Amino acid sequence: MQAPEDPFKSAREKDGLLRCKYQGESIPMVLRHHDIRRITKDHATFSSDAPFRVPIPSEENVRTVRQLPIETDPPDHTDHRRIIEPVFRRPRESEMQARIPAIIATLLDAALSQDSIETVANFALPLQSRALACLLAVPEAEAEEWIGWGIHVFRVGAGEKKGAALDRYLRRRLDRAAADPGDDFFSLLTRATFQGRPLTRDEQIGFGNLVFAGGRDTVIHSVTGILAHFAEQPASLDALRGDEKAIATAGEEFLRVLSPLTHLGRVCPQGAEVLGETVPPDGRIGLCWSSANRDADVFEAPDEVRLDRRPNPHIAFGSGPHACIGAAHARLLIRDLIRQLGERVARLRLLAAEPLLESRPEYTRRIGYESLRLVFEPLR
Amino acid sequence: MPKVTFITPDGSPNEVEAGPGSLMEAAVAHNIEGIDADCGGVCSCGTCHVHLDPAWLDRVGPAGPHERDLLDFNDAADASSRLSCQIELNDALDGLVVRVGRRP
Ligand code: HEM
Ligand code: FES
Repeated sequence: MQAPEDPFKSAREKDGLLRCKYQGESIPMVLRHHDIRRITKDHATFSSDAPFRVPIPSEENVRTVRQLPIETDPPDHTDHRRIIEPVFRRPRESEMQARIPAIIATLLDAALSQDSIETVANFALPLQSRALACLLAVPEAEAEEWIGWGIHVFRVGAGEKKGAALDRYLRRRLDRAAADPGDDFFSLLTRATFQGRPLTRDEQIGFGNLVFAGGRDTVIHSVTGILAHFAEQPASLDALRGDEKAIATAGEEFLRVLSPLTHLGRVCPQGAEVLGETVPPDGRIGLCWSSANRDADVFEAPDEVRLDRRPNPHIAFGSGPHACIGAAHARLLIRDLIRQLGERVARLRLLAAEPLLESRPEYTRRIGYESLRLVFEPLR
Repeated sequence: MPKVTFITPDGSPNEVEAGPGSLMEAAVAHNIEGIDADCGGVCSCGTCHVHLDPAWLDRVGPAGPHERDLLDFNDAADASSRLSCQIELNDALDGLVVRVGRRP
């Protein structure tokens, strides 16, 4: 089966770069696996210490605080990341390994009992939100408010402050945690210290903001991408049923081909030469994870979905010090989804799909689905 | 099947009977502390880092290029480092001793 179209192929093979313009700023996108890996090691030249500017396009108009720990460099980054590390280690423990499957089982019950289901809003979004509540150790009922925000809440619209609602929510939620602390993520932020002092409220919001913004669409697109694949290739689900190792391997291949996060930026404080391109001081480059994951120098037949691909050194979760801290959580969710589909679903049938395109003058890429209506046919 | 020993971060040796598969799988099957193996062995995560006992380094062989790439991100990695998911066990590796390395 062919993976979704790779819009970066010819530029990657020719120059290793694609010059893109965002809000008047010219940003060379670095496209090759090896170059991206090399750049993520050199944070002095290619820095993340730039509020609002790690995402491309930048988010001055979306939020008011620096996202943490992503918009800092080592050594500060190391101390920032350490604050939330205990939360993100929880998916490796048995308690969460039992609770995520329960969330998925409930959603599958519902999907199997309906004639058909629109899976973006009614399966992937509630799954992502309830699983996040579990990760953050807040009652699952809190996820209902997050689900109510809908699927567009963090999508960047030109000039709109779409993040304002999230900002207000986080302020309110952190106030509550400070007044009535528990073992949850928000309380942890109110108690946390950075280099010997408490976190400011803006820093707390910066951590909270990223957990909601970074872990939402990425997970939703992974879930729907996997469902759509099985609907198109029923035999591929049959091949995975009951085989834990094969399921884990398949999950990594889905991450590679779906690469739900296209790219992220780095700022060059002193300027830099990148593959023959001059980046001016304070200019940016893009690290195109989704392109690296199709690099034929690293992956044999990169445009084929091979669910048994090993090794598979994809960088869907990034690479280097900032590599996704939510990866263990996302993997737990993806693997358990595939496992339970194998146990309970005979076939997924596609009724209607509206792809969600990231559409730029320089490239167009399918990053997920606007809507995806499926029939879940029960096994037996 | 070979017996292998993991020296965990607290310094204690854990000798385990390995099944077929990789050194990482032997660690995971026996819940060896410090081997998360997040990516399930596809050489993408770097959380299955071990140090080989010098006596074994030559026999097991060096890391491949993708493995090296990942190890390069780990400040705790050195010349004795390998990713345990990239070491397939066989009877010639009976008695292998490795120290569990730090995560990246
Ligand atoms: C399939 C799902 C996901 C993908 C593809 C993904 C992708 C990424 C990537 C590429 C980075 C690297 C950033 C950089 O180098 O600048 C990253 C970092 C991060 N991700 Fe994820 N992510 C996913 C899920 C999640 C989830 C579920 C959460 C939280 C619940 C999360 C939270 C974060 C955070 C906090 C960082 C910053 C880490 C740091 O700066 O040290 N991600 N993610
Ligand atoms: S288990 Fe992920 S690299 Fe070895």
